[in-house]
Order: sequence, then structure tokens, then C-alpha cells
Amino acid sequence: MGRILERYGTALAGLALIVFFAAAAPNFLNPANLLNIGKETSFLAILALGFMLALIAGELDLSIADVASLAAVACGALVQWGYGPLAGVAAALGVGLAAGLFNGFAVTILHVPSLIATLGLAAIAKGLGFMLTQGVAFVGRWPTEFTGLARGALLGVPNLILWLIAVSALVWLLVGATRTGLHMTAAGEATEAARLAGVKTDRMKRLGLALCGLLAGATAMLLASSLSSAAPGMAGDYFLYAIAAVLLGMTMFDPGRPNAPGTLVAALSLKVLGNGLVLMGAPYYAQDIALGAIIIASVAVSAAALKRAAFKV
Amino acid sequence: MKRFLIAAVGAAALALSAAQAAAFEVGIIAFQMSSETHARVANAAAAAAKAKGWTVTLLNSEGALPKHAEQFDALIAKKVDAIIVAMGKPIEAEAQFKAARDKGVPVVTVMSGASKDTLFDIQVNEYKVGAEAALYLFGQMGYTGNLISQRFEGNVGTRIRGRLLDDVLVENQAVKEIGKHSMARTQSWRDDVRAGMQALLLKNQGQINGVWASFDGQAYIIDDLLKAQGVKRGAIPLVSIDGGEETYRRIADPDSTLLATVMIPFEGMGERAVEAIDSIVVKKQPKESVTSGPYLFQDAVLVDASNVKQFLKK
Repeated sequence: MGRILERYGTALAGLALIVFFAAAAPNFLNPANLLNIGKETSFLAILALGFMLALIAGELDLSIADVASLAAVACGALVQWGYGPLAGVAAALGVGLAAGLFNGFAVTILHVPSLIATLGLAAIAKGLGFMLTQGVAFVGRWPTEFTGLARGALLGVPNLILWLIAVSALVWLLVGATRTGLHMTAAGEATEAARLAGVKTDRMKRLGLALCGLLAGATAMLLASSLSSAAPGMAGDYFLYAIAAVLLGMTMFDPGRPNAPGTLVAALSLKVLGNGLVLMGAPYYAQDIALGAIIIASVAVSAAALKRAAFKV
Repeated sequence: MKRFLIAAVGAAALALSAAQAAAFEVGIIAFQMSSETHARVANAAAAAAKAKGWTVTLLNSEGALPKHAEQFDALIAKKVDAIIVAMGKPIEAEAQFKAARDKGVPVVTVMSGASKDTLFDIQVNEYKVGAEAALYLFGQMGYTGNLISQRFEGNVGTRIRGRLLDDVLVENQAVKEIGKHSMARTQSWRDDVRAGMQALLLKNQGQINGVWASFDGQAYIIDDLLKAQGVKRGAIPLVSIDGGEETYRRIADPDSTLLATVMIPFEGMGERAVEAIDSIVVKKQPKESVTSGPYLFQDAVLVDASNVKQFLKK
């Protein structure tokens, strides 16, 4: 029983949350509402999966939200200046990837701790976002080919949910079923031992940070497409939630380790919580209080796993 | 028996009316409750709606566009009867505003800008407000000398005010803007304003004849900085925009350098939004009975020493 709670405690708490809102919140089980939750989870989960990849490689990327905002602004600039949707997509992914590569360079070549390097890049990204926009969001005149990336649907399933499934599957496969994933994990969990065993640890750290940046760019592209706007700081709200999703995810499935299924379930639980409380008519401040309480309670359920995680991270 | 029947029917009608009123549900979204002006609009609207016996869901988007959109989606799923948005983003979140219209949920915005998907936007005319504040400051300076400005480009209202200041500067060449600071951060903005203005005041010491701030919160910080430097009231006139208890207290204070503000009726706009929904949605009156256009303009009032007493709470 203890082992089940340790591995699935947080997931069970998430399930309990869904059951509670299904009973207590009017319209929670309405299919349109469930699709809304799925779509809203996609942004957070993709960003969190990026953060998770950096963490697997043993590095922290605190620039994810600001890089995502800058990537959205770069995407918006190109689309609004008439360069077309493809250029916008390339700009978002390119800015994200470039930011990730820069972080990797700073950490492995310049030997700046990732905490500092990514904080520095976050400030630069925020400044560049304001420089490009002068504080004014890019709005209007978004081609439907671009907005369709996030707003469209295939066989009734919203594209955002399809993107989420595709990215999650790729990340899960990379981490769990490839040699590269194994090397990234080894580089993150025991850098020196992995290096002595022949793993190119610096390369793995660069890869983790680059993929983190790339997924921040993907989140930016989907955000801009979904909201048909791009503004500096638009992804800022996701920063703490993404970290919370990864840390909560570490308390389930493979306790103590960042893992894709856990991150996904945690992101979904956080969004279910926000949606359910709105449907119940809870005041806005109650949502923050409930969020904090549920994070603490969930982690407490898997306290043993968290203790192990503390030694590993 | 007849009296009893009339009383019973009356009581039943009252109960039915109360039940109908209780059944009416309004969602109120403030874009950023940590901003005093957003909170004033949203809280006033919530209080007015509760006074009518409506059920109120008050939400805070925390300044985040994705969260703003999510809350809109959730309120539509909740099937609220109407939505009021304080300082919202109808253009940036156009899909959600359109979804509300498609689902038949009427939306009234406050200080958010017009949208084809809302009933109307309750506004003051920011162009008029900006011109009034700038001209008052120039008048205090005798239409000559140097000024510094504290701006905020991240909000449409404060940005328009800044642009009006620029226009008034172009037409009055004897007044020079020798320094300006644009607030970049939104969460730790007080620290940002203090640092920026401290630097400008130091750099231009002895040359400043006036200070313009894009909203009152900035003006409080500048006022404190000027007072700390020993500047007496009127020596460097400080003018801003928004209004509120603290602003009026400072305008009435003989030691404060804040001479005037243009008062925007934030609480009044929140209450007006509720009244408009009551007329149009509950009482089914035509929208034209409230306003025919995309805006419902409210009056802004210039408040200085000559009239501040009527705004101070007794």
C-alpha cells in the first residue's frame, strides 16, 4: 500500500480532484469544458516537459518563460510584418533553440552555473521582448494558416491536444527508450561517474538545455497562434506552474526522478484545479491558496519519494 | 380571504422575483488585481452585483494573457449570464470574446477598448484626460522650462496619456523634456520607478521645473523623492492621472508636491457596468437605451487644491 501511495499518490490525488469537481462543480464534465482543460494543459505541459529535460540532464533552466515570451514576440513580429506563417513558426522555434544553445554554451563552455546563466538570459529575453514591441502587443491580421496551428482540430480533437500528445510521446520515447535519453539521465544523476563511463556529459547537458529552449519556442508558437497575439511577458505566468508541474511529477510513476508521465499528470491536475475552482465560483484568492495547499498535500503523500529526490537534484 | 390571497400572490411574486435575481450569475474578470485601478473597478462591480442579489464569480487574470483567456473559457463553460471585464484584452483574447458572443453570453468591458464581440466598453476619453493633465502641468510651469516624465508603455491608457504629452510638447516648444523614464517591470514596478526617477532627479538637479507621471501610483513615489530632497510645494509641480483617496490626501497636503490629478471614476465605471447589464440583460431593454455606440464614456474631473475638498472622505 505504501509503495502504491509512493508511486501513484499524486496521481491518485489528481484523480480525486477530478472526481470532486465532477460532483461539486456544475458543467465540469461538459465535453466542451473537458476539451478546454485539455487545450489549456497543452501550453503548460509542453513548457514543463522542456524544463524536465534540462533537469534530467542535471541543469535548471529559469529562462523558459521569458524565452517563450520573446519567441512569441519574434514570431508575432515576422507574421505581422508579412513574412508569412512559416517564418513565424521558424522564428519561434529558432529563438527558443538559440536560447537553449546559448544556455548550454554558458553552462558547459563558460562554466557559469545554470541557475545564474539562465537567470541572466531571462533578463535579456525580457528586455529584448520589450525592445521589439515597445510594450505594444502584436495583434490583428493573423493569417488563418497560422492560427489554425492551435485553434484547428482533426477529427474533432483540438490541434493543441494533438500537439501535446505528439510532444509528450517524443519526450517519453527520448528519455525512456533511447541511448541518448539514458546518457542524459546519467549525466544528470551522476555526472562524474557518467563521464568516467564514457558519456559525453557536457554534450548531454547542452542537449537538455537546447531541447528545453526548443520546447519553450514551441509553446510560444502555440500561444501566439491560440491567442492571435504576442506580447512581452505573455508566458510569464507559466514559470512557477511549469516548475511545480515537474516537481509534482517527480513524486509519481518514477518517484524522485523527473519523468514525462508524471509531469503530464501534474500539469493536467494543476489545470483541473484552476478550472474546477472557477466553475465552483471560488474567489480568485482562494485559487492561489488551494493551489499551494494541494501542492504541499500532494508532495506530503509521496514524502519518501521527495526525500530521495532531494538527494538526487 | 381576498386580502390573504392578494398577500399570498404578492409574496409568491416576490419570492419568484428573488429567486430569479438569485439565479442571475455574473462573472467578473480583472486583468490584474494587484493594480489598484483594476481592483477598484472589479470590486465595485462585484459589490454592486451582490447588492442586486446576483451570484458573483470574481477572477484575477494576474496580468497573464493565457490566464485571461482560460478564465473566459471557464466562465462560458460555467454558463454565467453575463461577464464584466475590467481592463481586459478583447483584441488579444479575441477568440474567447467571440466564443462568448457565439454562446449568447453578453460581455461589458471597462477601460479595455471596443470590440465587435462585446456590448460596449465603459471608458473615459484617455485622449482628453492626457491633454488635460499635460496642459495643467504646462500652465503651472508658465509654459516654459524643463520637465521630466515617468511613463508606462505597457498599458493602452497610460501610453495614450504619454502620447498626448508628446503632442502638447511639440506645440509648446518653450517646454523641454530633459529626461524620461519608462517603467519596464510590472510586478516590482515601484522599485523600478523609484530607481529610474532617482537617477533622473540626480542627473538634472537644479534644472527641473515640472514632473509628469502617467498614473498616480508613480506620482506617490516621485512625490516622496522630491520631498526627501527638500522640494517645497509648487517649486517643482507634479501632475498625474487616476484619482483616489491617497491622491486627494496628497493634493490637500501643503507639504506634498503633487498638485493635481485627473480623476477617473473607476468605482463608478464598475457600478455602471452592473447597471448596464441589469438594464439590457435582466430588464431586456434595448442596448441603445444605455449607449448606441461601442463606448459608454464617463466624465473625468481635474482635481487640484481648488476642488479637492469635495473628493476627500469626511
